[in-house]
Amino acid sequence: MRYLTALFACLVALPAWATEGERVQIRGEIIDTWCYFSGVMGSPESVTGTAHHTCALWCSAGGIPVGLLAEDGTVYMVLRIEGDDGSASGDTQLRLAAHEIVADGILYQRDGLNYLVVEEVVEDLGITNQSHLDFGVVPPFAIPDPSGN
Amino acid sequence: MKRIALACLIAALPASVLAQDFSETSEARSWNLFAEQPARFEARVVDLLCEVTGDCPENCGDGVRQLGLLRAADGALVYPNKNGQPAFTGAADELLPFCGMDVEVDGLLIEDEYVGATNVYLVQRIRAVGAEEWTRANAWTRNWADANPDADGDGPWFRRDPRVLALIEERGYLGNGMSHEEAYEVTR
Repeated sequence: MRYLTALFACLVALPAWATEGERVQIRGEIIDTWCYFSGVMGSPESVTGTAHHTCALWCSAGGIPVGLLAEDGTVYMVLRIEGDDGSASGDTQLRLAAHEIVADGILYQRDGLNYLVVEEVVEDLGITNQSHLDFGVVPPFAIPDPSGN
Repeated sequence: MKRIALACLIAALPASVLAQDFSETSEARSWNLFAEQPARFEARVVDLLCEVTGDCPENCGDGVRQLGLLRAADGALVYPNKNGQPAFTGAADELLPFCGMDVEVDGLLIEDEYVGATNVYLVQRIRAVGAEEWTRANAWTRNWADANPDADGDGPWFRRDPRVLALIEERGYLGNGMSHEEAYEVTR
């Protein structure tokens, strides 16, 4: 009983940070989180921007979660964008693949991951990261040979 | 009072300190990823937006939302980013039939502090707790084919998906408006 009392006292004393959101405004790129986190295609820098645009479309359409990669390198897992809760292959997130945006929304943190509910895309700057100049296209087969070979 | 302080101290410890090894009984196939760890554990399948914000529609959102795994051993919310197919495909389709159920999953955990990855998961097989048979997490491409009967042609789904093709037509493979030929040439 003493242990139960102690646990209850502890739970009451702890802040409810896990369920309360915080309003934030974040500028960053909509990325494909699996390629970024797993390194399956290469370095983190190579799986952003123009170099990875086609793969980002494939992954978003394929139901892989999208994230917002902020300028400081933090990744925010996007759960909803402006009322569209289609976080698994939804149209809104698909159209924003590789775009740089400014998002206003609510940030939640849970077990080491950042979750973002975007209430408004304040700015959509389009695809600004010309990463193909450094990395070509990632993966290399993303652009088929136009000659058909 | 000392016991209360000790309980609070344990509760406040970072998850990494209390991290458990979920690899012992795993039969997950390696993908040769830098930060992969085989992981088999029991969890409840949850709608992530519901779990995080309290916005909870019926049936975990009926397939439009990402789903999570609330791990039984430590209460951690694990995010399945990937199913078991090497085909640019996520995990929500695989988990939806188990919405709200207690399941056992086997796959690969990704823990890489450098890129901020923690509790990120690739699910390879799923079964309800107590069930004998596993379900392989490879239904996505079959579901896509059923939903896109007119997407004929050669090649894998991502070469034929109508939404992807429309966006590539609109903005090019690099997304910067370059023609197919230009984009191919500048990236060789």
